[in-house]
Amino acid sequence: MPVRVAGVVKRYGRRTVLRGVSLDVPPGITGLVGPNGAGKSTLVKAILGLVRIVEGEVRVFGLDPHARSREVRRLVGVVPEDEAAIPGLSGVEMVAYAARLSGLPGTEALRRAHEVLDWCDAGQERYRPVETLSVGVKQKICFAAAIVHDPRLVILDEPTNGLDPIERRAMLGRLTILARDHGKTILVSTHVLPDVQSICERVILLAAGRVRLAGTIRELTHPPVPEERLEVSGPVDALVDRLVARGIPARRSVGPEGVPESVILLRLGGDPRALRAVWDEAAGLGVGVRALEPARRPLEEVFLEALAAAGDGEVVAHAAP
Amino acid sequence: MPLHDVGYRPWCGERRGPLSAILVIAATGIRLAWSSRWLRRAVFFAWSPAILFAGSFFAFEQAVDEGRLGAMRTSARMGRNLDGIGVLGAVIADALGDTVDPAERHGGPEAEVYRTRRAVWSRLLLLFMRAPQAILLAIVVGLVAPTLVSRDLRARAWLIYFTRPVGKFEYVAGKLLILALLVAAITMLPGIVLWGMGVAVSPSVWVALATWDLPLRIVAASVALAVPTVLLALAFSSLTAESRIASFAWFATWIACWVAHTSLATADLIARPGGGDLAVAVDDGPEDDSGGMGVGEGNRGGRGRGPSGRPGAGVDRAMRGARESGLALDLRRVRWLARATGLDAAVDRWAWISPYHALGVVQAWIFGIERRPEVVLPPVVSLTVVSLLAVFVLWWRVDAPARA
Repeated sequence: MPVRVAGVVKRYGRRTVLRGVSLDVPPGITGLVGPNGAGKSTLVKAILGLVRIVEGEVRVFGLDPHARSREVRRLVGVVPEDEAAIPGLSGVEMVAYAARLSGLPGTEALRRAHEVLDWCDAGQERYRPVETLSVGVKQKICFAAAIVHDPRLVILDEPTNGLDPIERRAMLGRLTILARDHGKTILVSTHVLPDVQSICERVILLAAGRVRLAGTIRELTHPPVPEERLEVSGPVDALVDRLVARGIPARRSVGPEGVPESVILLRLGGDPRALRAVWDEAAGLGVGVRALEPARRPLEEVFLEALAAAGDGEVVAHAAP
Repeated sequence: MPLHDVGYRPWCGERRGPLSAILVIAATGIRLAWSSRWLRRAVFFAWSPAILFAGSFFAFEQAVDEGRLGAMRTSARMGRNLDGIGVLGAVIADALGDTVDPAERHGGPEAEVYRTRRAVWSRLLLLFMRAPQAILLAIVVGLVAPTLVSRDLRARAWLIYFTRPVGKFEYVAGKLLILALLVAAITMLPGIVLWGMGVAVSPSVWVALATWDLPLRIVAASVALAVPTVLLALAFSSLTAESRIASFAWFATWIACWVAHTSLATADLIARPGGGDLAVAVDDGPEDDSGGMGVGEGNRGGRGRGPSGRPGAGVDRAMRGARESGLALDLRRVRWLARATGLDAAVDRWAWISPYHALGVVQAWIFGIERRPEVVLPPVVSLTVVSLLAVFVLWWRVDAPARA
C-alpha cells in the first residue's frame, strides 16, 4: 500500500486537528475531500513528515516519513494549493531547480524540465519570470515541478484552481494518464466534487479530523434501491405520466438548484417487459432516448448525508462560508 | 508547442546525494542576487580599497629594497607621517615604531627586516579587513541577506524546498553559503591578492615562505567576520516575510550598536583625567592601558610589558615625537580617523557591544596584534552568543510555516 495512515492524532496546542485518522491510499487516483478545517492539509503534512504526530503511525511506501523524510520526499511530488514560486526564476528554471533539489544532475534536470513542461503544454510562457505568470500557467509550472523527478506518489491540493474549463479537463486528463499508464499513486485534495467524481477511483471524506466516509466512487454513489437513469429529449413529464400509468415507478430528476432535468429515474428491476414498455412509450410520444444507465447518487448528496449522519452540524456550518 | 511531444516519460537516472542541494541552493541564490545592479556595484567598489593598500605594500617594499627602512624608522620615531603613503603611513609608522626597540633587537638586520615586514603587513591587512572591508561587508550583506529567507516566506517557496529531499540543514547551509561566498569575495579574496602582490613586489620570493601564515590568518579573519554577521543577517531575514523590515533591522543593529559603543567609549575618555583630548589621553602613559585594542597596540602581549610593549606604545611614541616636532595636530587628525574606523588605540572596554568593534578585536587577535585575553574574551563571548542566538532563531523559523 503506497500510503497507510493508522490512528493518527495531531494537535496544535490545545486544538486537536486529526482525531485518530486511519486510511489507506492504494495505487490509482484517490480523492481527499472535506470542508474547510477538516484537517486535509495537516494530513498531507503528516504524510510528508512535515509535522510531528502525537499518536498513530504513517507509512509511505513502508517508510516512516518523519524518521526518513528525505527518502520519502524523493518518492513524493506535491502541488500546493497556494501559489509557490521562487521569485526571479523563469518557469523552466523553477522546474529545473525543483528537479535539481530532488537530486537530478544539472543538465538532466533542464532537459527533464523542458520535457515535462512540453507535456503540460506550458508553451513559451515557461521563459517568463514565474511571478509574472497567470494563475493557470503557474499551476502548470507547479504541477511540472511536482512530477519532474518522476515521483511514485503525487499529492495535489486543489489542482484545478484557476484553470479554465479546457485546461481543467487537460489537467484531469494528465492525472488519469499518470495513474493509468504510469502506475502512479495520486492523492487529490479538493472541494470540486465533479472533479473527484470524474477521475477518482476512491474517495475519502475527512471532517472535523475524522474519516467520515471512504470507499470507491462506485460503492459510495450506488443508490440504496437500484434505479436506472433515462436521459431523454422531448416531453419528459408526459413520458413520466405514461410510465407511471403502466405501473413502472418513475420520477423526473431535479437538479441541485431545484430545476427539473431531462432525466427520468426508473425502477425497472431487470424486467425486460418493463424495458420494452419504456421504448414503446418513448417512441409513441416522440421522445428521443439519449442514454439509459444505472443511476448513481450525486457525490455531494452522499457527503452531505454522511456529514449529517455523523452529527457534524458544526462541520457543515464551518464549510458554509 | 513541441515539434515532437514525447509525452510523460519515467526518469530512472542516478540521483545526487542530499548535500548537492546545498550547492544548488547556493549557486541559484548567488545568480539571483548577482542580478541586482546595486550588488554588482557594491562588490566592484569593495575591491577599490585594495588598490590603495597595494600602494602601501609597494611603498614599504620599495623602502626595504632601497635600504630606506632605517630612515622610515627614524621618521616614525619622530612621529612624522610617512610621505607618499597617505593615511596608511600612520599604520606603517605605528608598526615601525613598535618594532624598533633596541632592547629587543636580535638576529641582525635581516631578522629585523623580517620582523618589521611581518608587523607592517599584518597591520596593513588588519586595517584593510577592518576599515573598508568590514563596512562594505555590512552593506553587501545588507543588500543580499534580508531577501534570502523572507522572500521564500512571502512567495511560499518553502513549499518547494520542504516537500523535496531538502532538510533544514541543507536549506540553511545553502543560504549561508551564498553569503559566505560573497563575504569571501570582498574580504578574503582581495586580502590574499594583497598578500600575493606584497610577495610579488618584495625583493625575494622567499618572503612568501617567511609570511606563509598570513594567508591563513586572512582566511581565519574572513571566517570570523562572516560567521556572526551572516548568521545574524539570516536570522533577521527569517523573522519576517518583508525584506525591507529585515534590511532595516540589519542596518539599525549595526548603527545603533556603533552609536552605543561610541557613546560609552567617549564617556570613558571624558571621565578620565585630561579627558576630551585624545592625544593627551593616549599619551598619558602606563595608566592609560586598561584595555586597549587596535593597530596601536603592542604585538608583544605574550612577552611581557616593557615600556614599548604596552598597548599603543608605537602610536604613543609617535605622538610624543610629533609633539616635539610640532606635528601633533596632524597625528591627532589621524587618530580621529583611526577612531572613526574603529581602530582606536585608546582604552576600549565596550568593544563587545558593537559587532563592528567586537569583530575588530577578534581580527586583531587573529593577526597576532592583540593577545591579551581580558581584551579578546568579551568580544569573542559576545559574538559567540549572538551567533548561537541567530542559529537558534534561524533553525526555529525557517520551516515554521510548514509546521503551522
